Amino acid sequence: MSVLPWCVAAWLFAVGIYGIATSRHYVHLVGCLSVCQSATYVLLLAVGFHWHAGPPIFYDHPPGTPAVDPVVQALVLTDIVIGATVTALLLAIVVQAHKLSGSVDPQRLRPLRPNA
Amino acid sequence: MIWLTGIMLVIAAAAGLLVVLSRNPKRQIFALCANGLVLSLLFFALQAPDVALSEIVVGAVVVPLLFLVALAAVAVARVRK
Amino acid sequence: MRIRFRAAALAASAAALFPAAWAVIAAMPPFGEHVSPYGAAVNAVVPAARHVSNMVAAVNFDLRGLDTLGEESMLLCAVTGTVVLLRGARGEGTSGSAVRLPGRAIAQRSDATILVCRFAATLLFFFGVYVALHGLVTPGGGFQGGVIIASGLLLLYLGEGYAHWRSIVRGRILSFLEGAGALLFVLVGAIPLALGKAAFRNILPLGTLRDLYAGGTMVVVNAAVACAVAGGFTLILLEFMEETRAPETEREPGEGG
Repeated sequence: MSVLPWCVAAWLFAVGIYGIATSRHYVHLVGCLSVCQSATYVLLLAVGFHWHAGPPIFYDHPPGTPAVDPVVQALVLTDIVIGATVTALLLAIVVQAHKLSGSVDPQRLRPLRPNA
Repeated sequence: MIWLTGIMLVIAAAAGLLVVLSRNPKRQIFALCANGLVLSLLFFALQAPDVALSEIVVGAVVVPLLFLVALAAVAVARVRK
Repeated sequence: MRIRFRAAALAASAAALFPAAWAVIAAMPPFGEHVSPYGAAVNAVVPAARHVSNMVAAVNFDLRGLDTLGEESMLLCAVTGTVVLLRGARGEGTSGSAVRLPGRAIAQRSDATILVCRFAATLLFFFGVYVALHGLVTPGGGFQGGVIIASGLLLLYLGEGYAHWRSIVRGRILSFLEGAGALLFVLVGAIPLALGKAAFRNILPLGTLRDLYAGGTMVVVNAAVACAVAGGFTLILLEFMEETRAPETEREPGEGG
């Protein structure tokens, strides 16, 4: 139990990389990238966690009650929202690549050549 | 409480694997919804309500919607050719 | 690169990195036993120093406001990139009817859908404003509230249909919201500089603890981030929706929106 979050984070990242490397559809590839991102969220939040501590909100509890780390939560919070925006940008690139080449298969798309 | 956090971590690992193993993008959208929900429950268990709020809306509503519309755009472009 | 070669390279690198990963996992502190000093300092000092009760929002909008400005500009860049990519290939005009995919039936929108979506979109919009406003006292904030508002606006599309939705949710208003949010954020950082203090310094009166408008400049930054995120996300979804519309010339005569 004391190493489970680190193992889960490493597992999620490895599974995401495997999905990216063996993908046959670009939209599926972007989904696997989001799995890689969720690995970092799990890692960061597990680093800040402390047993028998509450959330870092002092509205009902007086300031001074044990609370988990708010700095990593701030990092993950902005990370989630901005990660969704970057996913949107990647999907726009996928749509454009499909329009230009006619395929969404990563195995079929060749790098652009200047005289092609 | 210890068991709850441990079980949520294992379910999150399984949900991530499910997202990767759904090769059909239309099926992967539902796997992404489930992944977002499971991750937000895990974040609740890790005492992070702000992050859980964010993950519910983004991971279970906005990102699957984006995927759905991107797939529709790809299908439309294929028809137009 | 062929798939077998790629899978072999992946397996080789995994085998090479696995002992390193295991060494790192073994060297990490046990889960839940480690107290980070910065987090403990924030929890101890900030309620008295800034009069807010949501520590995460205080870290985001005041203590590490510069990082959030960086994230805000990342949002702006990603939205601009998406809009330029999609609009650049398609053109600036809008169109009302969707492309007819062969073999797909066009389902009429049922009355139940329209009614539920009207209720739910209104509720979601106000709930998003509520979450964004209460960001400094309870869990919530500009980021969460902005995304909830965006999803409420998109639920409106489900209930009203594309033509009516575009007449309510206009691209220019969304762009203005997004840009205004980012500009307000930059101003909150730049005005203390012009007054001779450090950038992002909290120059407004702080208020009392657990009050809704306590926190000084954090209230302004919270509102700016909510506007920017709501505008940005709705704009992205709007651009993607435009991709599925038929151009004006492809419409058959007598066809509605």
